[in-house]
Amino acid sequence: MKVSKQQKNVTLDPGFAGEIQRRSGENVFMCYQCRKCASGCPSRMFMDSTPTELMRYAQLGMADEAMKKNTIWYCLSCQTCSARCPADIDIAHVVDTMRIIVQERKIKAQSNKLPLFNRLWMTMIKFMGRAYEPGIVVSLNLLSGKPAKDIGLGMKMIRKGKLKLWPSFKKPFAMIKMFAGARRLKK
Amino acid sequence: MKLAYYPGCSLHSSAVEYDISTRKVCETLGIELAEIKDWVCCGSSPAHQKDELMSIALPAKNIALVREMGDLKEICAPCASCYSRLKVAKQKLADDNLRKDVETIIGSKCPDDIEVLHMLDVITDRLGLEAIKEKVVRSLDGMKIACYYGCLMTRPPKVTGKTNFENPTQMESLIEALGAEALDWNMKTFCCGAAFALTKTEVVLELTRKILADAAAVGADAIAVGCPLCHANLDGRQTQINRKFGTNFHIPVFYFTELMGLALGIRAGELGIFKHITETEDFLKERAFK
Repeated sequence: MKVSKQQKNVTLDPGFAGEIQRRSGENVFMCYQCRKCASGCPSRMFMDSTPTELMRYAQLGMADEAMKKNTIWYCLSCQTCSARCPADIDIAHVVDTMRIIVQERKIKAQSNKLPLFNRLWMTMIKFMGRAYEPGIVVSLNLLSGKPAKDIGLGMKMIRKGKLKLWPSFKKPFAMIKMFAGARRLKK
Repeated sequence: MKLAYYPGCSLHSSAVEYDISTRKVCETLGIELAEIKDWVCCGSSPAHQKDELMSIALPAKNIALVREMGDLKEICAPCASCYSRLKVAKQKLADDNLRKDVETIIGSKCPDDIEVLHMLDVITDRLGLEAIKEKVVRSLDGMKIACYYGCLMTRPPKVTGKTNFENPTQMESLIEALGAEALDWNMKTFCCGAAFALTKTEVVLELTRKILADAAAVGADAIAVGCPLCHANLDGRQTQINRKFGTNFHIPVFYFTELMGLALGIRAGELGIFKHITETEDFLKERAFK
């Protein structure tokens, strides 16, 4: 069991649970801490705190605790917690909502490449319509400073004809318009 | 039977053998697949982690494109992630306000009478196993298969509508109809780490190792999957896992459509099986498949 030191100064954001509900429709106050989500989470071993703790942070308005730890960035969106929650909370959706808030407010995420990956992917489909796998891999590796990552596997895939080397462009104008439309609506 | 076909980005690239085998099998079984013209990415996991509105609008765009193709009522998506995103979008669009926003974004009406099916649903529910059994010419007799579902084929049940999401048996019934033995094992719905394949590979290696170890423990000759990301991890990462954990896994991982193809008498080469990263040649030679 991990015993953590009592923190003296905790900043509370009383509107945090409300914001999550407004954005996702999920009511975190339904959580009664049964820990079913934490015990079934395949990624729990990598997380700073459990999904159950995350729900408590949301209830108490401990936005910093919830969003600055690595927990939300280790969620695999595997939906195990959402499928099992006896209070019927879509926990994975709550996590997604927290990730969206973090990315919108540009809060520094704990040492990981997921926000970068998301940004690259969305930019790519905005201009190309479809994901272009070699482009994603190369740009992600270059921008995260590991240019040689998975190079052996990549070469093998190319040899086997498993990578589409040329991107295809599908409806680029319609896509750019769609992204712009979504942006306008959000404002 | 004619269905709109949404292959998704993976099936045009890293999972090209899933596309090839799906088309071949459907052709043999008399299912007509009409690929959605100029389909776009469903947004996959980045969209729902970054931009909720786009994560609904992108699948909605594809559903709207189906309407332009005429009177098709069903979309078949072989990729578990695409299937899930299309299903989620369809469900969320029941909210009228959201529907209005989404239709403004995509610039057209989004039909609400189009059903989304995973390829496996098409085979077991729409076509039925009896029809498959009739067409089996080369039984997979003696093969021990661990059927792996991963996450999004069954979860969350509110989206997929599957009742036995903790212990699904849909793929097992298909595998048994092909003559093979479907094994009982623990990890069939355990996540392989799919979305982190590029960003946090250490997570993928750990989770995939657990799955492979359990499949090996129950004596599986091969694993059957229905998701390109599961396949990329289970098939493509075995060498890296062996190097990292000192294990010695060499378990061929097949798409269920490839196993169907073999049972229907299609040659392995025509199904794209030799494109796998974990070699399948010996496995097929031992069992005298061409």
